[in-house]
Amino acid sequence: MSLAERPRPQVDRDSVPWWEAVRRHELLVQKCGGCGTLRFPPRAICGRCRARESGWVPIEGTGRVASWIVCHQVFMRAFADEVPYAVLHVRLDDAEDLFMYGDLTEGDPAEVTAGMPVEAVFTDVDEDLTLVRWRPR
Amino acid sequence: MGLRDRAAIAGVGYTPFSKDSGVSTLTLAIDAILAALDDAGLAVDDVDALATHRVGDSTPPWVVAPALGVPEVSWYLDQFGGGSVSHAVIGQAAMAVATGVARTVVCYRAINARSEFRMGGTGRGAAPVFDAQYQAPYGYFAPPQQFAMATRAHMIKYGTTHEQLGHIAVGQRANAVKNPRALKRDPITLDDYLASRWIAEPLRLLDCCLETDGACAVVVTSAERARDLATPPVLISGAVWGGGDSFFSGQGGDFTVSEAARIAPRLYAMAGVGPEDIDVAELYDCFTYSVLVQLEDYGFCAKGEGGPYAASGATSLDGPLPVNTHGGFLSEGYVHGINHIAEAVAQLRGTAGDRQVSGAEVALSTAQPGYVLAGTSALILRTDA
Repeated sequence: MSLAERPRPQVDRDSVPWWEAVRRHELLVQKCGGCGTLRFPPRAICGRCRARESGWVPIEGTGRVASWIVCHQVFMRAFADEVPYAVLHVRLDDAEDLFMYGDLTEGDPAEVTAGMPVEAVFTDVDEDLTLVRWRPR
Repeated sequence: MGLRDRAAIAGVGYTPFSKDSGVSTLTLAIDAILAALDDAGLAVDDVDALATHRVGDSTPPWVVAPALGVPEVSWYLDQFGGGSVSHAVIGQAAMAVATGVARTVVCYRAINARSEFRMGGTGRGAAPVFDAQYQAPYGYFAPPQQFAMATRAHMIKYGTTHEQLGHIAVGQRANAVKNPRALKRDPITLDDYLASRWIAEPLRLLDCCLETDGACAVVVTSAERARDLATPPVLISGAVWGGGDSFFSGQGGDFTVSEAARIAPRLYAMAGVGPEDIDVAELYDCFTYSVLVQLEDYGFCAKGEGGPYAASGATSLDGPLPVNTHGGFLSEGYVHGINHIAEAVAQLRGTAGDRQVSGAEVALSTAQPGYVLAGTSALILRTDA
């Protein structure tokens, strides 16, 4: 079973630049041109100050485990050979309210702990897709 | 204020619950609606409005109405959404009759959630909605996974334990033993719970509701008219929906507070009661954790104390706050919310048989507390004093 059989991200008009950056192994978030708030997932407008201006800024790609699960049930055949696998809810180090999801790689799902430091890993799936996963730091 | 006591539930109806109904969701809807009308002492000719919610998994009102032979539809609601809007459907029906837009609304939910369309997509692709693009590629898309993430966050912050979750599953099964309609009627112990297999840690099989084929329907009409019908009316004292955050969107990071905390003050204010007045609570239990967090967020215990409160026995049939008296979605069956409302009606009518809470006059019934899709919904129902 390969990563290519996983569900593909349904990229939308707000997220195209983000996925293109991931393709280049760059982890970006938006920075609001009005209030400076860092924003993820990508949106056309700031939910705090409603400014429409924003830019893309690189982030460290490090964070800590805010919550996590270990999946045993196979809900989709693409993951049949991967269970048990861990999915992390990562609080990014760059801002208090910035989170990303991703699966654990290069680590033991049974050894994940709350607050565990992790870092982003770019995995090239095929010619079109790169995914952001997380490993212990 | 507002909608308080202006509309009533005049009838409820069910199909049998099963793992394979063998019939279409249209047939399920019709059977449940006819049963509810019969319960109310009404006929199809009395119906002028239909309301449901669905997520691409059921038959809409504009198909059900002609199939039933409804003479003329004056209002209908085809609400998008899953469990979080289950109670908003009834609330909107109450608005329709209170304003005179409709006279008799049949609200229904009909699903083949085991034999046809399984939540979480076993055998199907993940739904391409919202921020799934940042989650599904990592194997994170099914409701048990999402609620497991929230459960873990609560465990981290408040020390909530597996055993506390287990008390919810065990207690609800004990109620289902007394419910002839329930799919699961064999008692379970805490050891059985702890021995059940992992689905997505920290949730086990016995933390999860039953994927069910079935339908349930409720007849909503004005309080005034309901008093002239076959059974004593159950008044809709409070009906609210809303919230504003979608926890699993990728924004918002604190999974330990649900949208129930936001709507509870408006709900209690509309009904003119408080948590201390609730005699019986049917709390949305897609998973054990959703019960636990709502015990906190509807004000029955302090924030963070849902685990100890559930483990104390307070929510058993003879406790101060009987919860999910029919066994809930964990043990009766999962018709996505409306069977909670029907059970609350039975409790207020005093027709719940062996599981009857004596003297129940005020009931709370709630929807999925807002983790999937934004917002939640809830009703406070009461007897007609």
